[in-house]
Amino acid sequence: MISTILIFPIVACLLVMLVKKKAFATFMVNAYAIIHFICTMLMVTGIGNKSVPYFALDNTNSIFLIVLSLVFLMVAMYNTGYVRHLECSDKKLCHYSFMILVFVLSMTGTLLSTDLGISWILIEGTTLSSAYLIYFNKTKHSIEAAWKYVFICSIGIALAFVGIILLNISSGAVNSMSFAELYRHASEFDLMWLKLAFVFMLFGFGAKMGLAPAHFWLPDAHSEAPSPISALLSATLLNSAFLVIVRVFKIMELANCTNYARLMLLVMGFLSLFVTAVFVYHIKNYKRMLAYSSIENMGILAVGMALGGAAYYAVVLHLIGHSLAKASFFLTSGNILELFETKRIKSVKGLNSADSKTCWLWVASFLAICAFPTSLLFISEFIMIKTMILDKHYILCGLFVFLLTIILYGIGRVVIKMAFDELSEDKAKVVEKNINKVSILMYVPQVILLVLVFTFGVYIPQWLNEVIKLAVGTF
Amino acid sequence: MATGFIILFGLTMLYLAATSRIIAHIRILIVQGFLLFLICCCGMEHNNWLNFAFLTVETLVVKSIVIPWFLYKVTKKTHSNRDVAANIPHFYCLVIATLILLGGFLASNYYFSSMKMIAPIYFGVSVATIIISLWLITIKHKIISNVIEFITMENGIFLLSLSVSKEMPILVNMGVLLDVFIAVYILGLFVNEINKEFNDLEVSHLSDLKDYEYND
Repeated sequence: MISTILIFPIVACLLVMLVKKKAFATFMVNAYAIIHFICTMLMVTGIGNKSVPYFALDNTNSIFLIVLSLVFLMVAMYNTGYVRHLECSDKKLCHYSFMILVFVLSMTGTLLSTDLGISWILIEGTTLSSAYLIYFNKTKHSIEAAWKYVFICSIGIALAFVGIILLNISSGAVNSMSFAELYRHASEFDLMWLKLAFVFMLFGFGAKMGLAPAHFWLPDAHSEAPSPISALLSATLLNSAFLVIVRVFKIMELANCTNYARLMLLVMGFLSLFVTAVFVYHIKNYKRMLAYSSIENMGILAVGMALGGAAYYAVVLHLIGHSLAKASFFLTSGNILELFETKRIKSVKGLNSADSKTCWLWVASFLAICAFPTSLLFISEFIMIKTMILDKHYILCGLFVFLLTIILYGIGRVVIKMAFDELSEDKAKVVEKNINKVSILMYVPQVILLVLVFTFGVYIPQWLNEVIKLAVGTF
Repeated sequence: MATGFIILFGLTMLYLAATSRIIAHIRILIVQGFLLFLICCCGMEHNNWLNFAFLTVETLVVKSIVIPWFLYKVTKKTHSNRDVAANIPHFYCLVIATLILLGGFLASNYYFSSMKMIAPIYFGVSVATIIISLWLITIKHKIISNVIEFITMENGIFLLSLSVSKEMPILVNMGVLLDVFIAVYILGLFVNEINKEFNDLEVSHLSDLKDYEYND
């Protein structure tokens, strides 16, 4: 099963480049999405082999893989509707599909890899493939976004590599980078080098994850990429980088350096929340606003990791909830962009009169992301706040709630204005012209994602709960 | 012998900080590539011939020929001769770079000399190189200068990985991947595409995307 997930996209890429037909390329993306989903589900339920050399499905990465699989399936469905009205040559679309396949393959590889070196290489692979996707529209702004993305992330990746070298120095005689070996010998590591290594790796992989202060690429890249790609970037790529940080954090934990690592994560987490709270209020572009919300949520994950204990459970729930809700939010923003032909917040008014389905998806996605009960994010943020109070971190708790409230107000104001203001006449004409571009396939994925987010808040199936508990146990 | 080459490598960073002509920067890249090749030859045990051959080809061909040649072509095409608009005068650049290098030497000798895993000289020079490069990236105004400094930073990392090559040769090979990464993307695609779109390679052209203004 695991080899199918990893080998199929390579074959699919070759076929896409050989056949060079628009419909076939899109079909291959869909086929991979379905195969990915089926294989993941079979592996999680214990059918088929779960490991090949250097790659394995373990308790930690199962939940990450399920989220990736589900989001990719939904994005692929949306993508089918999205490319139907895309005006571009067969060749360009084949490159686009090719890069999506490579992008998802490298993310899957990062999640499944059992070796720090391989994870690092594949994270580099995600940068290579997604840079093309961000640059897909070939406008001045998309070049700027892609340039910033590549430059900042490659410096991050280079620094993460320094971290890996330092980890190797600290590990002494352990000449291996496999996580299992590193965990086994973690207690013998030289602490000074290990701490230094963690700083570099946290900053390097944190840049990829979108943690402040290395987040500058994220708003540009997310806003300039085509909407299905924005959804993939936000809901899956950031998680892949987060998994590497979780694994490195585990090494720190086993080496008895937990407090040091927690402090670093806490600082970066709160800095991310602060940055979002400062910037989200004045933003002029709704896709950028969603990107800032991703920075916020990554910050929450970092804070959750720093808190430890019961907050680990909240981290996993938050990860699932954020990925599903944010994917839906970004896909819906794609609908708005198709309808109004602009990303400017002021130019989008009266979504309700323009297209009520998109409007309600937009509002529901907002409710899901702002932790409105019964959204899964409500449970996760509630547990985190409760943990802070039980651990007597009252100031932190106050700051956390305060920053989240500012962000909630900032995003909520914009969403409500866009949804329920009056639609101007000239915009109504633009919408009328474009309404056919939004097909049924561009609504269904968001509905499924939102139903899942709101259902998981009250009921999590037994098998999924088991997977989550196993993941929490390994954190 | 290797120590001498490493010190020379450190000194090239001072030259990089003190000059503004792009072509001189490219020559420095060639020199650095060649020095890394010599360090590989002197410092490594040659019991794994395949790995050794791989490293020499990488340092000699990719680092000292392919990447500089490509950058040279880009400078010709874009007529970018100098990066004159740096924020700090060159004299101060040189002083700061010297201080960082000195700091690297001192720190590695005083604090890390007890470590058996790593030679202080490797560590000091490579860390100083990484810091100087990162600092130069922040003060330069041309994209091509940023790319050059990124490559020198990567050379510094390569030097650091050479110091642990006896234990983990695979780490060095991973460092090589960073080179391929630069060659494929930063150079191949972006410098060309940005040039096509903007006519010259000033970083200031790439600051249109803002939070408080809408430019799309």
